[in-house]
Amino acid sequence: MAQKWGQRFRRLLVKTMDLPQDVMMDLPRITMIGQLHIYIENHRGLLNFTDTEVRLLLKNGQLLVKGRSFVIKTILPEEIMLEGKIDQVSYINE
Amino acid sequence: MKNQWTNLYTGFVEVKASGKGTERLINELIRQGVSVWDIRRTAPGILVFCMDVKEISNLRKAVRKNECKVTFVKGSGGPFIIKRLIKNSGFVFGFFAFLITIFVLSNMVWGIEVHEASPDTEHAIRKELDKMGIKKGKLQFLLLDVDEIQKQLGDKIDVLTWVGVDLKGTTYHFQVVEKETPEEVKTYSPQHLVAKKKAIIKKMLVEKGKPIVSINDYVTKGQLLVSGLIGKEDKPQMVPAIGKIMGETWYKATVEVPLKTHFSVFNGDESTRHSIAIGGLSIPVWGFKNPDYPDYVTETTSAPFYFLQWKMPISYKAQTLRSKEELIREYTKNEAVKEARKMAKASLEKELPEDAEIISGKILHESIENGKVILSIHYQVIENIAIGQPIIQGD
Repeated sequence: MAQKWGQRFRRLLVKTMDLPQDVMMDLPRITMIGQLHIYIENHRGLLNFTDTEVRLLLKNGQLLVKGRSFVIKTILPEEIMLEGKIDQVSYINE
Repeated sequence: MKNQWTNLYTGFVEVKASGKGTERLINELIRQGVSVWDIRRTAPGILVFCMDVKEISNLRKAVRKNECKVTFVKGSGGPFIIKRLIKNSGFVFGFFAFLITIFVLSNMVWGIEVHEASPDTEHAIRKELDKMGIKKGKLQFLLLDVDEIQKQLGDKIDVLTWVGVDLKGTTYHFQVVEKETPEEVKTYSPQHLVAKKKAIIKKMLVEKGKPIVSINDYVTKGQLLVSGLIGKEDKPQMVPAIGKIMGETWYKATVEVPLKTHFSVFNGDESTRHSIAIGGLSIPVWGFKNPDYPDYVTETTSAPFYFLQWKMPISYKAQTLRSKEELIREYTKNEAVKEARKMAKASLEKELPEDAEIISGKILHESIENGKVILSIHYQVIENIAIGQPIIQGD
């Protein structure tokens, strides 16, 4: 319940003060360059990595990237840069 | 994100991780702040990635916590390149040997070319160069200076009027001008012979033309000596008058000879310091000790090193310290007069043409002033006074 209250408060702050949502609400920020690159900030770790599929842990749920010939160019505790041919990006909410 | 290119210097390894928890291994590594890049899945259960050499201890810790095996595929970057170079040191050695060879070869003399010299002069020049040590295969910076070569050649070979020495790359070029002047082209246009200056005629050798004056005549400048008009007077024929008219002419010379003269001479003692100059800095190589003579003149020659055709900022420098001595020469009055006569005669002879002859010199006036002997000398000279004067047509 307390978490929900926190979430509500934050949402209110974002709405009224016009703050960037990714910072306030720990949401992933995803930047894609065509199908070639995908750059994801605010992830919480690598769950699964094959050359056709990458599954990342987020604060809420998971992010699934599908495509072909994936290579992780760089990975840092909260950032990841993926290269390959990206076909789809989807969220998985339990 | 970290700059990737620095990894090239510090060195990095390609790691192959196999097993179940490869993703967890990556997570563990990045949580510890190890930078990992180029992660690829080559086969199911096998992950290949790159990481810094320095972080291998962290990798071992992370591996212990997870159920996977790690092998190193290859190392790249600085330390590994050096390791490989040491292993293949033959190539490195060969590379430097190549550079050194090129360097030495570009500082050698590869050719000596003598231009515009007759075969015997060329032979003389080559012989003289041999004596100076200028041969094919010698190192340029150990040889004499170009100017010095030029001077010595000019001094030693008499037939040379001038020799231009030029070092182009690895070849010495000698541009020669020989003394023998081309034979004068005889002028066959009609001419008179007139007197060059006032004189008393002593001897006449007329090849062509009609002599107007005779021996022991006094002539003034421009006076007609031999006419180019011969034949009958009403129908003269024009010919080029040719001949030699030797006349007695007079010269007056004034010379001054100081009684006491200071000279500085080299007595032959010398020592050389060799050094290598890099930019403005010169590093002595040989000859460190100071000369044991007090007074000397320093002569510096420097020759740049070449690499192929490029002049390098490094040059070879030789400093020659020549011992100098002060000499005082003192003449008595008689000696000074003698010396003065000699000098006057020599300078007059230089002015006169070759076929002229000084027959006598009389001292007109002699005085000593400020420690100097001043002489006025009168000379009698026999010389050719004839000079051609063209006959202008229609005259």
